[in-house]
Amino acid sequence: MNAEVQAITESGVGPISRKRARKRESRWRFAWRNRDYYVLLIPGLLFLFLFKYAPMYGIVIAFQDFNIFDGIRGSDWVGLQHFQKLLHSGEFAAVFTNTLLISIYKIVILFPIPIFIALILNEVRLMFFKRIVQTIVYLPHFLSWVIISGLFVTILSPSGGLVNNLIESLGGKSVNFFMSNEYFRSLVVFTAGWKEVGWNAIVFIAAIAGIEQEQYEAAAIDGAGRIRRMLHITLPGILPTIALMFILRLGSVLDAGTEQILTMYNPVVYKTGDVIGTYVYRVGLGKMDYSFSTAVGLFNSVVGFILVMSGNFISRKLLNRSIW
Amino acid sequence: MKRTHGDWLLDSFACFFLAAVSLMMLLPILNVFSKAVSEEWAIVSGKVGIFPVGFQLDTLREVVTSSTFGHAFLLSVGITVIGTALSILFTAVTAYPLSKRFLPAISFVMVLFIFTMLFSGGLIPNYLLMRQLHLINNLWVLILPGLIGVFNLLVIKNYYESLPEALEESARIDGAKTYTILFRIILPLSMPVIATIALFYAVGYWNDYFGPMIYINDTAKQTLQLYLQSVVMEANTATALNKSAEDMMNMSPEGIRSATVIASTVPILIVYPFLQKYFIKGVLIGSVKG
Repeated sequence: MNAEVQAITESGVGPISRKRARKRESRWRFAWRNRDYYVLLIPGLLFLFLFKYAPMYGIVIAFQDFNIFDGIRGSDWVGLQHFQKLLHSGEFAAVFTNTLLISIYKIVILFPIPIFIALILNEVRLMFFKRIVQTIVYLPHFLSWVIISGLFVTILSPSGGLVNNLIESLGGKSVNFFMSNEYFRSLVVFTAGWKEVGWNAIVFIAAIAGIEQEQYEAAAIDGAGRIRRMLHITLPGILPTIALMFILRLGSVLDAGTEQILTMYNPVVYKTGDVIGTYVYRVGLGKMDYSFSTAVGLFNSVVGFILVMSGNFISRKLLNRSIW
Repeated sequence: MKRTHGDWLLDSFACFFLAAVSLMMLLPILNVFSKAVSEEWAIVSGKVGIFPVGFQLDTLREVVTSSTFGHAFLLSVGITVIGTALSILFTAVTAYPLSKRFLPAISFVMVLFIFTMLFSGGLIPNYLLMRQLHLINNLWVLILPGLIGVFNLLVIKNYYESLPEALEESARIDGAKTYTILFRIILPLSMPVIATIALFYAVGYWNDYFGPMIYINDTAKQTLQLYLQSVVMEANTATALNKSAEDMMNMSPEGIRSATVIASTVPILIVYPFLQKYFIKGVLIGSVKG
């Protein structure tokens, strides 16, 4: 824009505008000369437009009273009606609360654990023990949510499950965790931790490996013990990584674990376990209320987008590190 | 260096803590494994802990040889193999022009890709699109929408950028075309990162539950995860195995469920030790992306 304005105002001067024109022309010729690269881009772009951008056009049904037989062109426009319904719906308020509660529990309880695992693992000198521990704690990450639900349905079973056997032998009453509104959120948080705490430690382990050894040697000469070195060198050394991961994590606060909850919940625990992602699924594909479901999804996407963008902005300002 | 009192305390705590965490990770797996191979009476009376009580492989054999399990298993293997191959091809090829930042409009295309990481059409618009493309109940729906993962694309692109430019220049002087350079020089040199990404894709395809749940409702096209979910949650284990109640007499639903879970976990358990080093490398490549 600026260049063009400049070119117009200085049109009499000649050399500058000609130079710009030549540069622009050579830009296209340059691209043409390198057309092979653009040809290689075609399959990727086709994928991108067909499967990523085409669905974005479908978002317009959030502003319609969409009817699957009339299609997007034939359906009536209703403006913001679905969003008004969303804001006044007690059901959505409950779902939104569940999402935030589960997410916040997950962050508060599960975020520090990988950092702690990485710090402790760093203190282990026996290499084979270290390797065995790492192998075991990374494993759950590779199991699907369906398998994990299967594992926990079994050990938490009210009839002969390991945990309930223990509770009963201690004189307690057996609990049906998967059917209890009281325990369902804890179950979701615990299983999410079981799956990911080990895996999430990898980033911090790598950050610790990047700390200069001289710092430790200097501290040791000054008489600092291992615990003090851990608290005053290792921990501050990985602080930027911790901050970055924390900001990233906050960006996805509206995703309380849709796939996880879909494999674990049942109508009995909708009251405490239904989150935005599962609600969109239930309303959209279960009740066929396409327009309202899309409106909920759009609300979720927009808020999520703003959260991630602000997170990236903060990390760029504060840590000088951008997420992408 | 001499060990102080504090050191001793720290070492013991570290060992204890890590052993406890590891045990917690293993406990559910050991328990379910034990239930899959224990005698039926022991399962029903709740006597099975982390070790099997008695030993039998009948339940596992029954599960693995049932036609529904076998069918779902093979289907998942097929989708994982074809999906991973196609994903790798598309991602590795697309990443190449994107790594040439000097090309006009390339950074704009990059923004187009990154934007889809942050914003998407959402469930229903995606579903309606698949319906329009006649992909509902078509197995390609489990591969095509996730063909290129943008995160993986970024990882490969960054790897290409780290390769020395002189390599390409000398090949070009020798008269090699762009396509030849990509397939004969760049791709073979990028095998470590491609292996890592392949493993990410493979685990993603193998474990996918959301995709088949939404797009596949034809039981003849059930993937392993869908089948497993029906066994785990709906507890209709007899119908799942296609067996009459009489055949089920010596097998408890609990035992069948456990055996199904274990049979579906085994493939991952077998490949896991070999993959471990690649996965860790992959996470590290991803975390230092620039």
